[in-house]
Amino acid sequence: MLVTFSYKAPQSREQLLDMIATGESDSKLLAGGTDLLVNIRNGVYRPKMVVDLKKIPGVDAITWDKKTGLKIGPAVTINEILTDANIRQHYPLLCSCARDLASFQIRNRATVVGNIVNASPCSDMAPALLCLDATVLIESKQGKREVPIAEFFTGVKRTALKPNEMVTSLHIPADKAGVRGVYRKLKRIQGHDLGIVGVAVANVGKGARIGVSSSAPTPVVTPLLPLSLSLPEVIEAVNVIIHPISDVRCSKEYRTFMVGEYTKRLWKEVIS
Amino acid sequence: MYETLDKSLLKQVGTSATRLDITEKLTGEAQYVSDMVFPGMLYAKIKPSPHARAKILSIDTSKAEALEGVHAVLTGEELDYRIGLYVVDKDILAKGEVRHFGEAVAAVAAETLALAQKAVDLIEVEYEVLTPVLNHMDALKEDAPLVHPDLGNYDYVKAVFTPIPGTNIANLTKLRKGDVEQGFVDADYVIEREYDNPSVQHVPMETHVAIVKWGLGDRVTIHTSAQSPFTVRNLFCRTFSLPLNKVRVIIPHVGGGFGGKAGIHIEPLAACLSKKAGGLPVKFQATREEEFSLLPCRSALTYRIKTGVSLEGKIIAQRMDMYWDAGAYADYAVNVTRASGYSASGPYEIPNAWVDAYTLYTNKPYGTAYRGFGHVEFHWGIERHMDLVAHTLGMDPMEFRRLNALKPGSITLTGEKINEHTGSVIACMDAAAKAIGYGKKTKAELQREKETGLKLGKSIALLQKAPAIPSNTATAAVVKMNSDGTVSVTVGLTEIGQGSTTALAQIVAERLGFRLDQVFVKVEKDTDSDPYDWQTVASKGLVLSGNACILACNDLLEKGYKVASHILKASEDDLSHDADFIYIRNHPDNRVSWSEISIGYAYFDGIGIGGPLIGVGSYIAQGLSNLDKETGQGNPALNWTFGAHGIICEVNPVTGEYALRKIASAFDVGKVVNPELLRGQIIGGMLQGLGTAMCEGYIYDKEGHLLNPSFTDNKIPTSMDLPFEVEAIAVENSQIDGPYGARGVAEHPMISVAPALGNAIYEAVGADLTHMPIRAEDVWRAMEDKKPIDNWITKTPIGSCQPWPDPEHPISSQTKKP
Repeated sequence: MLVTFSYKAPQSREQLLDMIATGESDSKLLAGGTDLLVNIRNGVYRPKMVVDLKKIPGVDAITWDKKTGLKIGPAVTINEILTDANIRQHYPLLCSCARDLASFQIRNRATVVGNIVNASPCSDMAPALLCLDATVLIESKQGKREVPIAEFFTGVKRTALKPNEMVTSLHIPADKAGVRGVYRKLKRIQGHDLGIVGVAVANVGKGARIGVSSSAPTPVVTPLLPLSLSLPEVIEAVNVIIHPISDVRCSKEYRTFMVGEYTKRLWKEVIS
Repeated sequence: MYETLDKSLLKQVGTSATRLDITEKLTGEAQYVSDMVFPGMLYAKIKPSPHARAKILSIDTSKAEALEGVHAVLTGEELDYRIGLYVVDKDILAKGEVRHFGEAVAAVAAETLALAQKAVDLIEVEYEVLTPVLNHMDALKEDAPLVHPDLGNYDYVKAVFTPIPGTNIANLTKLRKGDVEQGFVDADYVIEREYDNPSVQHVPMETHVAIVKWGLGDRVTIHTSAQSPFTVRNLFCRTFSLPLNKVRVIIPHVGGGFGGKAGIHIEPLAACLSKKAGGLPVKFQATREEEFSLLPCRSALTYRIKTGVSLEGKIIAQRMDMYWDAGAYADYAVNVTRASGYSASGPYEIPNAWVDAYTLYTNKPYGTAYRGFGHVEFHWGIERHMDLVAHTLGMDPMEFRRLNALKPGSITLTGEKINEHTGSVIACMDAAAKAIGYGKKTKAELQREKETGLKLGKSIALLQKAPAIPSNTATAAVVKMNSDGTVSVTVGLTEIGQGSTTALAQIVAERLGFRLDQVFVKVEKDTDSDPYDWQTVASKGLVLSGNACILACNDLLEKGYKVASHILKASEDDLSHDADFIYIRNHPDNRVSWSEISIGYAYFDGIGIGGPLIGVGSYIAQGLSNLDKETGQGNPALNWTFGAHGIICEVNPVTGEYALRKIASAFDVGKVVNPELLRGQIIGGMLQGLGTAMCEGYIYDKEGHLLNPSFTDNKIPTSMDLPFEVEAIAVENSQIDGPYGARGVAEHPMISVAPALGNAIYEAVGADLTHMPIRAEDVWRAMEDKKPIDNWITKTPIGSCQPWPDPEHPISSQTKKP
C-alpha cells in the first residue's frame, strides 16, 4: 500500500458516529470497499482514518414486512440481495439491477448502500431505487433524518450525506412490493463493465416509471407515466430527464439514441 | 526434420500431454518476479511526464534526496547511456526534452514503495510545453516538429533499416516486384481504400517487473519478467559496455509477454538505481497505468491499399502504403514495419507489387512487438479490402480469395516460390468455411433471424505469417541424463505460457523413445547456465528449439550407444534401446540400463568409460537473407504458417449491437504436437484478437494525454465474451525442416479475427467499417453513414492538426475503366 491510514472498526453505531462526529473530511466509511479502496489507491481520497462499519451488529440485515416494506442495511452486499427470497419475490427490479452490477466477485463485496453513497452517474442500483421511491435513512450525533433517493444524489459523485453522517439503511415502501420491472445496460464487453447507458422500466401499478443511469450527472427517473402512452411519447418523457455527454465511452448522440432504444425494448417487455 | 517418418509410429508427439507446469500454476506455487523479495531490497518509482512534448527546464530533487530511507535519486542528466534495439534513440530517463506522456523524467529507490512514491512526489520539474506531433500522418508534413532532431547522429542497424535524418521517418522499407504502373493500366478495375488501427496494450497479467543488483566488480544480476534473457543481457551489456559474462539474467515464470516483454525495458533503470544505491538490489514494477504509458504498446497503423484486378477477378497489381506510428522511440516498430512490408499483401499472389512502409515518430508512448508483429494490423486492411474488391467485381469473397491465394508455384512478394511443403492457406479457408456453413444460412438460422429481428452475417478472412528473425537466429538444447535414467532438459527458450516446455518434453521423449515422465524441461531461465537462444518471439520456438532438442537427443543416444557397445561388446549398429535399456537387437536380454551408464560406467577392474551423459544440440535458421533495400527481394521466411477464420456474427440492424455466434479457426501447423495446447493457443489468440477487434485502443486528447490508461476505459474481453461456439481446426501439411513436420502457431490465431468480424458485420447489415475497434456505436454510425466522431479510438486525436487524407485525396475510390 502506498497510503497510510488508521483503520477503526467500531462495535456499535454510537461509537461510529462518535468517531466521525467532528465531520472532518479525512475519514471515510468502509463497507465493501470496492469503490473506496480503488479511490484510495488512485489518490482520489487520502483519508487519515478508514472506519469499517461491518462490525456493527445488524448492518447486514435485510428485513421485509408487508406493512412497512423493505429495509436494507449498509453492509448488505449485492449478491445477498440476489439470493434473498423476499427481494426476489417482491422487488424483482432490484435483482434485475443487481445482476448487471460488475462481476460475481465484486458483487460478493460491493454493497447496495455503497453503490448509492459512491453516487456515480452510472450507478446500477439507482435506477431501481429511484423507480421504487426508496428513502435513505441517515443518522449522525445530531439525530436522524430521511432523504428521498431522488434528492439524495446532488451531482457527479456528490450526495446529500454530510461528513458526520452515515446511511443506516435504505427503505423501500411496502406499496412498491410486486412492482414489475427490468433493467438493461449497454456495455462495451459482455463481461463486467460500467454502463454506457442503463435503463430500468417499472410498472408501478397506477403508472410506469423509467430510471436511467449514465445519461446525466446523477441517475435520473421520470415522473409517473400513464401506461397508455405511445412509444414516442415515452421516449420523449425520458429525453426530458437525461442530459448525456460525449466521453471516451460513447458519444452524446449514441447515448441518447440507445436510451430511447432500451426504453422502447423494455417498455414493450414490461408494459405493453 | 524427419518429414519422412511414419506419423502413425509417433507415441508422444500428437498426444494431449498435460502441461508440465500445471500444478505449480494452478496452486499459485509458481514463482514470478512479482513475488520475489531479496534482503535489503529497495523499491523504485518513476516521475512521469504529464506532457506529450516539453522542454525540461529544471529538475529539483533536493527534497526527495533529503528524505530518510531514500537511497538513490536519478535524473537523465546523470545517465550517459542510450538504449535501442535497432535505432539507438532512447535515454534511460528523459534528457532535455520529454517525448511522450508518461515518459520517466526521474526515478527514486527507497526502502519502501510508499517512501519511493513520497520522494517522487517531492521532485519538482519545470517544463516548457511544446507543440506535439500526435497523428502519425501529420508527422510526415514538412513543417512537422521533429521528435528526434538528432536522428542523423544515432547508431542503427544499417543492413536492415533506413532512417531519414531531418524527418520523423525512423525507417522506410521498400518492396518492388514487377511493374505496378503497367499493372494498373492493364487492370479492369482499380480499387483503393484506407484502413486503420489504433495503438493497443498487451495487458499481461504480470506487469513489467525487474529486480537488479549492480554488485561489486560490475557483476550485475537481473531478475526480470521478460521473454528473452539473452537479448536482455546482450542489449544491457551493449548499453553499459560490459562483457556478457559479467551479467546474469534470470527469468522465472512469466505472467504473460505477448511481445511487450520481447526486448529490454525497465532493467537498465533498475540497474542504474542499484548502482547509485551502492549495490543494493532494486525492484521496479510498473503499475497498470505505467504499463499503458511508460511501457510500450502496439503501433497504430494507417494502411492505404490500391488494387488493380481483371474482370475475372485476378489481382494484377497492388500498391500498399503503410504508415506505422512508432510513437516516441523506434524500438521494435521499425522491424514491425520491415516484417509487415515484406508480407503486406497477406497470403495472395500479387504479380506486380509496390510497398512503401514508413515508421513514423510521434509524441506518444512508443510501439513495440505485439503478438502478430504487425500482421494483425495490416491483415485488418488487406482482408477487409479483399472483400471490398470481391464485392466490387460481384464475386463471392471466398471464390475471389481462392483465385488469388498462394498455392504451389506462386511467387511471394519477396520472390520466394511456394511449394507443397509450404502449407496450404486454401485448405485452411475451406476448413473454416465448412465449419461455419459459409455461403448460406441454415433453416434454423433463418428462423432465428425471423424471431429475433437480428441479422446474421458469415465471413472468412485469411492470414499468413513467418517468423521475423535475423538470418543467424540460433538456439541450443542440452539434454542431461540423471543417474536414474531420467533426463533434464535446458533450452534458452522462455516459457511465457505458450506451452513450449511441454511440447519440447514431448519431442525429447519421442526422439529418445522415453516415457514422458522421464523428461523434465526446466522453466526458469538463467543466462549463466542455460544454452543460448536468440529470443522467445516470432512463433519460432517450436521449430528452432524443437530441432535443437532432436539434435541433442541424437547426440545423447550416440554417446550412450558408444558406451553400451563397449559394455555389451557389440557393434553400435547392432544395438537398440527402449526407455530403460540399451540392448543387442537380436539378444534383447543382453542389455545395460540407461541408469548404469548415465553418469559413467566402471568395470570390475576399475577401468572407467563414459561419464555423465549429456547431449547437446544446436540449430540455426537456414536460408534467410537480408532483403534488398530498394526492391525488398530475398528470403525473409523461415517458414510460413497459414490460417483462416470463419465468423458467424449476429447484428442488431437498428442499434449496431452485435454478438458472435461462432468462430472457426484453422491453421496449417504442419504437425500437431499437442492437440490440447494447440486448442488453448488458438482460443487464447482468437479472443485476444477479438479484444482488439471489438473494444481495445488508446484514446488521447488533443494535447496527447492518454485518456484511458486502465481497465476502466480500456476494456479487454473476458470469458463472457467468447463466441457462443468456438472451433479450432488443425491442417497438417508437413514442414520439411520442422520438428516432426511442425510449424509455429503462437501469434497466428490473433491475426485476421478483426477483418473476419468486419466482413461478417458487412454481410449482416452492410455496415462497411475501415477502422478498428468495432464498437456497437461504430456499426450504428456505419449503418447510418454518419461520420465517426473525432475523439474516438479513430485515426485522429482530436484537434491534432489537419485531418488525413485531405479533401482532394478521398479515403476510398473505385474506378472502372471504360
